[in-house]
Amino acid sequence: MADNRVLMSFVVTATSHTLAEYRSRGGYASLEKALRAMKPEDVSREVTTSGIQGRGGAAFPMGRKWSVVHLNDGQPHYLCANADEGEPGTFKDRWILENAPHLLIEAMLIAAYALQVRHAFIYIRGEFDRPYRRLAQAAEEAYAAGYCGERILGTDFSCDVIVHRGAGSYVCGEASALLSSLEGKRGYPRNRPPRLTVRGLYQRPTVVNNVETLSNIPWIIAHGGEAFKKIGVEKDPGTRLISISGHIARPGVYEIETGYPWRKFIYEDCGGVLDGRELKCVIPGGISTKVLTGKEIEALTLDNPSLNAAGSSMGSGGMVAIAEGTCMVRLLQVLLRFYHHESCGQCTPCREGMGWMHRIIDRIVAGNGLSEDIDQLYRISGWNDGTTICGMGDAAGYATVGILNKYRDEFEYFIEHKRSKLNGNLECPAYS
Amino acid sequence: MPRIFINGQPIEAARDQTVMEAALANGFYIPYFCWHPQLSIAGNCRVCAVQVEGRSWAEIACNMPATEGLRVLTDSDLVKEYRKSILQLLTLNHPVDCGICDKAGECKLQDYHYEHNGAPSISREPKVHATKFHPLSERIVLDNERCILCTRCVRFTRQISKSSGLGVVERGDSSLIRAVENRAFEADPYSDNVIDLCPVGALLSRPNLYKARVWYTQPTPSVCPGCARGCTVQIWHRKSEWKLNALDPWLNARIERITPLENPAVNGPWICNKGRDLAKIFERPRAEQAMQKGRPVDLDSAIAAARRVIDGAHHRVALVSSWGSNEELHAFKLTLASRFAAYVKHDWTPQPGETLQDDLLIRADKNPNSATALELFTRADDGAKALPRDVDLVLVWGEGFDFARAPAGAKTILLGSYLAPENGHADVFIPISIQTERRGHYTNFQGHVSAFEPCFPKKDGIADAEELFVSIAATEKATA
Repeated sequence: MADNRVLMSFVVTATSHTLAEYRSRGGYASLEKALRAMKPEDVSREVTTSGIQGRGGAAFPMGRKWSVVHLNDGQPHYLCANADEGEPGTFKDRWILENAPHLLIEAMLIAAYALQVRHAFIYIRGEFDRPYRRLAQAAEEAYAAGYCGERILGTDFSCDVIVHRGAGSYVCGEASALLSSLEGKRGYPRNRPPRLTVRGLYQRPTVVNNVETLSNIPWIIAHGGEAFKKIGVEKDPGTRLISISGHIARPGVYEIETGYPWRKFIYEDCGGVLDGRELKCVIPGGISTKVLTGKEIEALTLDNPSLNAAGSSMGSGGMVAIAEGTCMVRLLQVLLRFYHHESCGQCTPCREGMGWMHRIIDRIVAGNGLSEDIDQLYRISGWNDGTTICGMGDAAGYATVGILNKYRDEFEYFIEHKRSKLNGNLECPAYS
Repeated sequence: MPRIFINGQPIEAARDQTVMEAALANGFYIPYFCWHPQLSIAGNCRVCAVQVEGRSWAEIACNMPATEGLRVLTDSDLVKEYRKSILQLLTLNHPVDCGICDKAGECKLQDYHYEHNGAPSISREPKVHATKFHPLSERIVLDNERCILCTRCVRFTRQISKSSGLGVVERGDSSLIRAVENRAFEADPYSDNVIDLCPVGALLSRPNLYKARVWYTQPTPSVCPGCARGCTVQIWHRKSEWKLNALDPWLNARIERITPLENPAVNGPWICNKGRDLAKIFERPRAEQAMQKGRPVDLDSAIAAARRVIDGAHHRVALVSSWGSNEELHAFKLTLASRFAAYVKHDWTPQPGETLQDDLLIRADKNPNSATALELFTRADDGAKALPRDVDLVLVWGEGFDFARAPAGAKTILLGSYLAPENGHADVFIPISIQTERRGHYTNFQGHVSAFEPCFPKKDGIADAEELFVSIAATEKATA
């Protein structure tokens, strides 16, 4: 597949995650380079030059986020890696945490140097067991080898890396909720303004970046921001980890250059749809992005400008392939059950709206749908569009509207005939 | 001083003000549930939405900084539609049991529903049920179905009363307000404020549950006599037009509830739980009959007897009430004080289990008007030592005097309001009115003077202390 590999540039073995092997691959060389040969401003400049966008879902340029933090403002700054990878369908950060934990730690130390951070945090999803153990082991190795803690590599730079385990909440993957949770409070998202880069963790400027975004930094430092910018498409440079699941022959995590043809990715790299069936649709980047039909993706490339033009986005890179014959009504039921379960309960539209939509879709699936239900789902989705503190209400609305727009006929059929148009299955091999 | 425009009208906002604060300060109307001037911004109810001109979406005013040149609309079509949607969502699982809800009549949800929505629910789903009658403490009952999770109560216990006694458990639409496990909320001396803070009928007072509808009662401004802070309060009692002859007369003239009367100089919008329980002080059995040595006499005879006793004594001591109003204390000073050695008596001392003093409101001095009493009668009674043996008359005004301290042969005049064993032993006992039956002022420990108004009529045969002092002094002079 892609020629340029930034993250998956080594063979995964039983020991490839250890410090010794990481160093044998040239690990921590970028940290040395940054600490010894570069000023913090130089590191930030390289990151800004690279044009890398956030990989967590919002695609906010990392350089712009960093530029808000003023280095000498006389207050502590914090850095936090968002490893609370909870978006359904997404498991690409898990690959980094399991197989290259030192890459993340090195990246965080470089970022901490650039942002003059004394304490950096990794907030890891509570359900991630092996990734947590690997990361904790890596942190211990890094401390023992003098990469973390006081006077790193003999320089004046000191930074502690703290691994914090979440308790299992989707909303805690939202940056401000993550910080509240890290502070020991209830994981409620916070109101903006103020931005987190102005008042974040413990009311101090805080940069929260996705694991994958951060993990690109060592490569950027080693090869320069200009070199990174040359990978992939100009407006969304670099490579992306895509975790693909669903009705696909070879599910897993793939690294692609942005701008990679989508059709080629699915039919060649991933081996096509399970059982050789037609592709009905794809959820491009986690369930909160709008679904695209099998026809729509034919001409698209895997990068944000291309997907935005099609009315969706790359999101968090958690792709779900859905084969022909899958019941979209039941699919939406699964999604809405998730959003209902995970709403934090802070804002009125999301707290009440998620449960309401879930009860409506449950009723439709139970065969008690009413003709007005589709409009009701549209209406509640609209009430959640941009009206809540965090983006979860919007995400649920997008997912619902995306499916309703494209598969309204299935919903109408289900309501009218009290059964699915397509046998009502989500699983592929049940009827081949 | 940023200049912003609300509905096209320019207003000057103060520095660091939000649009909500600037709008309310300048007479613009924005509805709100979760926002409160004394609490942090939660931004969760979303009903305060406004539209910034040129934008196609609504944003909450409570967290919007008033920046120079900002132009917002508080009543555009978009905002109206948005508010309707929020009220539809808030009433989605709300039981709408206003008919049996104590909050009905002063409920924000009710008001806003009529004002901004007015339509029945568009939902076809059955209501989701939650806990009813959950006892949060001995004093407060929670109805989770009515709760809109604005978290005002939670923020109050964290930011104002500092007990951190309340929190949210569970999540999403299963979220519930609950007391923390160590009974911190039970012990919070300010816990009842969450009842007033609750914008809906979720938090209700257990002692007052189902006792009176809001619209049958009216508030009378008053001052809490519970401590030297002198918080301004409202005493709610039955409206005169709603007095029912069929009811026990006592029910027509009782204190229905006490709420704070906001006063930035003294207590802000809060009062403590003791202030809510003034009925326990004022509704004790009353002394209504003047007596001489336990023998009932009429008020005029008692006054004449008091005058004779005073005339016949040589070494007179008066124990002045620190529960007297400024007017009464001045009246005593002007009429009788010259003939007495006057000591200030602390009518009430801290009760067992009572909070002695804290940083918010509660003061160690449990009397409302020690300030004026000590200003006029400088010597404070130490409350423990026996009075000198040559004292032959003790005039006791109010409660809290231990009669064992009076010398054996001394005569006693007692001015009291409540039934007490010592009333019958006094040479002269004259019943006097209480705070809810008269008008007056108290001066608090900081020197702030607050007024109280009468709620109930005084019964015949009970004297007002202010007039009583004048009439005792007048009869003295007339016969001297």
